[in-house]
Amino acid sequence: MWYAFVAIIRRELLRMLRQRGRLVSALVRPLIWLLIIGTGFEALLSDYGAGDYRRYLVPGLLGMVLLFGSMLASLSLVYDKEAGVMRMLIMAPWPHSLIIVARTVSATVVGVIQALMLLLVLIPMGLVQWPASVPLFLAGLILGGLVCAAMGMLIAVFSRTLDNFAVVMNFVIFPVFFLSGALYPLQDLDSAVRFAALLNPFSYAVDLLKHAMFATAPPLGGADFGVRLDLAVTTGFSILALLVACIRFSSATLRERTARLLGRRT
Amino acid sequence: MTTDDAILRFDGACKRYDGEWAVRPLTLKVSRGEFLGLLGRNGSGKSTSLGMASTLIPPGGGRVLVGGHDVISNPVRVRRLVGMVFQESALDRTLSIEENLRFAGALYGLSRSETDQRVGRLLELFDLTEAKGRRVAALSGGMRRAVDIIRGVLHRPALLLLDEPTTGLDPINRRAVWSYLARLRKEETMAMVLTTHYLEEAEGCDRVVFLRNGEIVGQGTPARLLELLGRHLLEIELDEERERELLERKLDLEEPLVDGDRLLYRLPDETPLEPLRSLLELHVRSWRIRRPDLNDVYLWLNREDLQRAGGGG
Repeated sequence: MWYAFVAIIRRELLRMLRQRGRLVSALVRPLIWLLIIGTGFEALLSDYGAGDYRRYLVPGLLGMVLLFGSMLASLSLVYDKEAGVMRMLIMAPWPHSLIIVARTVSATVVGVIQALMLLLVLIPMGLVQWPASVPLFLAGLILGGLVCAAMGMLIAVFSRTLDNFAVVMNFVIFPVFFLSGALYPLQDLDSAVRFAALLNPFSYAVDLLKHAMFATAPPLGGADFGVRLDLAVTTGFSILALLVACIRFSSATLRERTARLLGRRT
Repeated sequence: MTTDDAILRFDGACKRYDGEWAVRPLTLKVSRGEFLGLLGRNGSGKSTSLGMASTLIPPGGGRVLVGGHDVISNPVRVRRLVGMVFQESALDRTLSIEENLRFAGALYGLSRSETDQRVGRLLELFDLTEAKGRRVAALSGGMRRAVDIIRGVLHRPALLLLDEPTTGLDPINRRAVWSYLARLRKEETMAMVLTTHYLEEAEGCDRVVFLRNGEIVGQGTPARLLELLGRHLLEIELDEERERELLERKLDLEEPLVDGDRLLYRLPDETPLEPLRSLLELHVRSWRIRRPDLNDVYLWLNREDLQRAGGGG
């Protein structure tokens, strides 16, 4: 089973390296945000004595890379269904949940690699402080990637085609990003918006990165929640989403087996 | 677990979709090492039967056993015994042949060295060694199908299921696929079950089973089934019904099989062909005497349906 697990991850990494456009856009997208939105807001906020907005953006932008990288990698499960590769996967002699777990792990790895690449670009720009806690920073990246991969997997197992890709972008990725505290602190938001942000598991992943990255003098108030809550929500959501995805992916078989046990013909 | 020599057994296995029968209760046994052709038109239940044997389509009733293991209660064991080549390629087009096969080998739990050894041998058998670095997207349909077959047998399955492996290929590539299968049969001892609607292709099978509307309408060795039609068939096209009556009276022919504009007559083996040819030259616009193939057998087994469908003139 280990060979199969590693092979699924290896294939996803190979695909990531082959799709250069995907890699480049993973870096360019956050840099555009940093240079345009970041510079603009920094100028605006400095008038109110609250500068350093670009440094505040860094955890959120790492989160953005995780969101796009890991979630899109998970969504490529739908591409596998359409292209027929899924047949090769489901004929392998393992429980089908292995495919879901391995694909989620590989999507997490893809997101984390892309985030580390962005970090390498941001360091020479002087925007990254040495993390307050390296283990916490790594946990933030991994759990952030896992949350995004699990969300993507949840969508992928319920989708048959990639026709609704634009819907996913507009109604999942963007709302999840904007309601996460990646761009602004959540404390002072309107209560309805804040409530929505509290329900968003990605908020806690970004918050974890803020805890890890703002060692001293956190800009704009720093993190929104406690580290324990961040760890609990990100881990809990990932496990739950993965469980639902595994059950959904194997549900046809489960239904048939249950029917057999009851002696019914389906 | 059963101890007989059957690698695949359908025990009254059936499947319905939206209340319509895709496969009616099917009882069929495939022996170890046997090459079985599952033949029939589109919608006859071939692919659904294969899907049930592969664990991908759960039977709606009855049982399907592979190597004695039930496809419902033990799908993982069944998938270990089965190799499957799908109607459409299951390869990743963005990867090379070698990368795809290494990926497939790992999915079956083969180590890198085992996979490389096996891939090398099979690529050599199919004359694809030179092409192993090429991306699948750049391969011809025939080569892609060959790689799909290699993928299906990498783990040395006891049963290889081939779902219409020649569909969508031109005649040259279709012939190439059959040549790959022949080479594979010489080298490996697995049982093969193949579906196709190119019935004439299945004459290399040990046994063929004809399906129609989800049930078996005939089965046997190709030679035995061809014997049903005798050594020769007379195929003619007539301008007028009057000519048909005249011909049947003069030649003492039985009721023909009507397929569109064609009439197919079974010729008794003792029929002298030369006088017949002379007679046909005189009375019939278009005719030929030929050996029957499995297409003819299928038409013959379904002649009542054909007559009902309006072919019966």
